[in-house]
Amino acid sequence: MSWSRRLAALLPVTVAKDNGGTEPDPRFTFANERTFLAWSRTALALVVAGLGIVQLLPPFPRVPAGRHLLGLPLIALGAVLAVAAYAEWVGSQRALRRGEPLPPSVLPWILAATITLVAVIAAVVLLVSALR
Amino acid sequence: MTSPAPGQPGDDPEERDPGLARERTSLAWLRTALAFAALGGAVLRVNLPTGLLILAVAPVVWQLGRLGQGGAPGSGLSPAGATRLFLIALSVAAVALLSLGIAVFGQYVPGALR
Repeated sequence: MSWSRRLAALLPVTVAKDNGGTEPDPRFTFANERTFLAWSRTALALVVAGLGIVQLLPPFPRVPAGRHLLGLPLIALGAVLAVAAYAEWVGSQRALRRGEPLPPSVLPWILAATITLVAVIAAVVLLVSALR
Repeated sequence: MTSPAPGQPGDDPEERDPGLARERTSLAWLRTALAFAALGGAVLRVNLPTGLLILAVAPVVWQLGRLGQGGAPGSGLSPAGATRLFLIALSVAAVALLSLGIAVFGQYVPGALR
């Protein structure tokens, strides 16, 4: 499937028209919605953390770009997570309607990879700023 | 993943009534609205207009959550379900991009953590 068709499949108009399968158990629908909301809050928390690092933390000695190196990936991850969480909600709801297995989630992978990256950057920035 | 046959509820009270699931979802919306408000409060210190804008989103999120709580017990999501979640995803992404702009071009707030 091309990217444009994939994006079009995510629009709420397309999602609402999906009447394949049967309406799932409301509890599953609610659980899927809560999972999406939990990812959204995670995204917001990452944005707060990134913004706090860049704007509120005093600069690192000898690493003037250190705060931006740490904060900007966190904020960008927030934006990516928000969109990915919605795409995942659409995919899960689709699978629930059809009684299929839920598609594997890429969100934990994205989150873990970025946090690892930020941790490595933090270690490097701290080392460099501590070295004379 | 099948529901028990009608008239034969399982031991779990939730299998008889999605009311608890509905309640948990309602609380999840409220937490999300609070998360928006918290982010708005944090941004206020850095950029007043953007902070006020994000704070104004919080009650909208709360109301969007209430939209999905209507309907008879046992009914699923309204057709507006996808639109609501789409709006939340868009808001979070927009807020993240605004914050990215503030982080890149904004002025450092000295002593804010003191």
